[in-house]
Formats: sequence, C-alpha cells, structure tokens
Amino acid sequence: MKIVQEKANGVVIFILEGEININTSPELRKAADTLIKSNEKKVLMDFSAVTYIDSSGLATLIEILQRLKRNGGILRLSNLSEKVKNVFEVTKLYKLFEIFESKEEALKNF
Amino acid sequence: MKFSTQIPSRLDLLPEFISSLLEKVKVLPIKEEDLFNLKLSIEEALINAIKHGNKMDPHLMVEVNLEAKDDQLIIQIKDQGEGFDFKNLPDPTQNDRLEKTSGRGVFLMRHLMDEVEFLDCGRIVKMVKFLKKGDKQ
Repeated sequence: MKIVQEKANGVVIFILEGEININTSPELRKAADTLIKSNEKKVLMDFSAVTYIDSSGLATLIEILQRLKRNGGILRLSNLSEKVKNVFEVTKLYKLFEIFESKEEALKNF
Repeated sequence: MKFSTQIPSRLDLLPEFISSLLEKVKVLPIKEEDLFNLKLSIEEALINAIKHGNKMDPHLMVEVNLEAKDDQLIIQIKDQGEGFDFKNLPDPTQNDRLEKTSGRGVFLMRHLMDEVEFLDCGRIVKMVKFLKKGDKQ
C-alpha cells in the first residue's frame, strides 16, 4: 500500500493506494499514529486508488477513528469503489464513518 | 477442476498464496465483483485458520481444497487447531458491536459467499460460490 500525505485548509489528507489488508494495515496505523501524536484533528482518507480492504483494514480504520474522536478529531473517507463500499455496507460500518462521494465533497464544511 | 494445496501458518505468505489461488479460479465464469468477494472470503478464512486455528505456529499447515463442479465452486480450508464454537458468534453489525475491532471475518464470509458451513468442530470451513454460465470478469 502507498500513502501520500497532503494538507489543505487544515485537513490532513491521506491519498491511499493499493490494498488495505492484514499485512499493509500496520503502515496505515503507523502513519495515522504520527499525525495523531502531532495533534492533527481533521483527517480525510481518500480511497480512489484503494482496490481492496479486509477485516484487518476495517479494524485499523475503526482504531484510527476512535483515537481521533478521543482527541476531539474527525475522520472522513472519500471515493470508495463500489466493491469497497459494499464491504462497508455489509458490515454496516457506513453508520460509523462519514463517507463522501468525492474528496471535494468531503472537504466541504470540515 | 480440482486442486489441493497447503500453506504454512504465516500471514506474510498470504498475498502471493491467495493470488495463486485466484489465478486457478479465473478460468471459471466468475464476475469481477464475485472475484473480489471470493478473495476476501478466502483471505478471512485463511487468517482465521492461521491466527485462531493454528495459533500462528509456522510449523502447522493450513490445507486448501478447491473444486469446481457443475454450477459451483467449493473451497474448503482446514486448520490443525481445536475448532471453535461457530454457532454462537455475535453479530458484528449490532449497534453496540460496531466499534469492535474484531469478529467480522466469519460474518463477511457468510455474506459474501453463497453457502458457508463449518465441519469437524470448526476446523474446516466449506464455502460455496454458485457459478453462472455467461458470467465473465
């Protein structure tokens, strides 16, 4: 998995690429850990190049969400493919996460 | 088509192993969306077998059997553990369990495959995907 980090209007944007699975999710956890420790509160993860997610990837996102929330932060997700979105729908995790159709949409009123 | 293989209980070997399994089934009439669900179900079953069944012991193997017959693909994954209580798994979609960071593997398998059955006290998971002629990637 590749993670490119950007910042726009006070929002840290993770552009994710590839698979979020049991072997790659520790990288995501580590990247999120660094920004949470530096007290960043607004985080957007863009999934436009994410091809796959498993239950370990979901668990990692839940951990990141919980840590951000504890710090008064916000996590948003954008650009999920239909297949990845289906995983969030089957597991009903769409109830937990703020999911947006596009990066631009997610950045509005952050 | 019938194919049997095995993998040591090492999570780092999974990506290549799963890719090789998917190469075998690509000749079958499976839609791309179903291939994604198949990959996810196989991965979740293998992770369960390695982590919970074989307790991450790299000396213990996980057996995988693939069989395509008539209109279905049957996948059986067997570990060498003690089995588990597959009849009493909590529903991870309940509101009070949504924030849990575990317990979604079997749930995903049950929802993404057409049939899922546990045999031999839970040491074997048998998953079935129905095949339809004309379904292509």
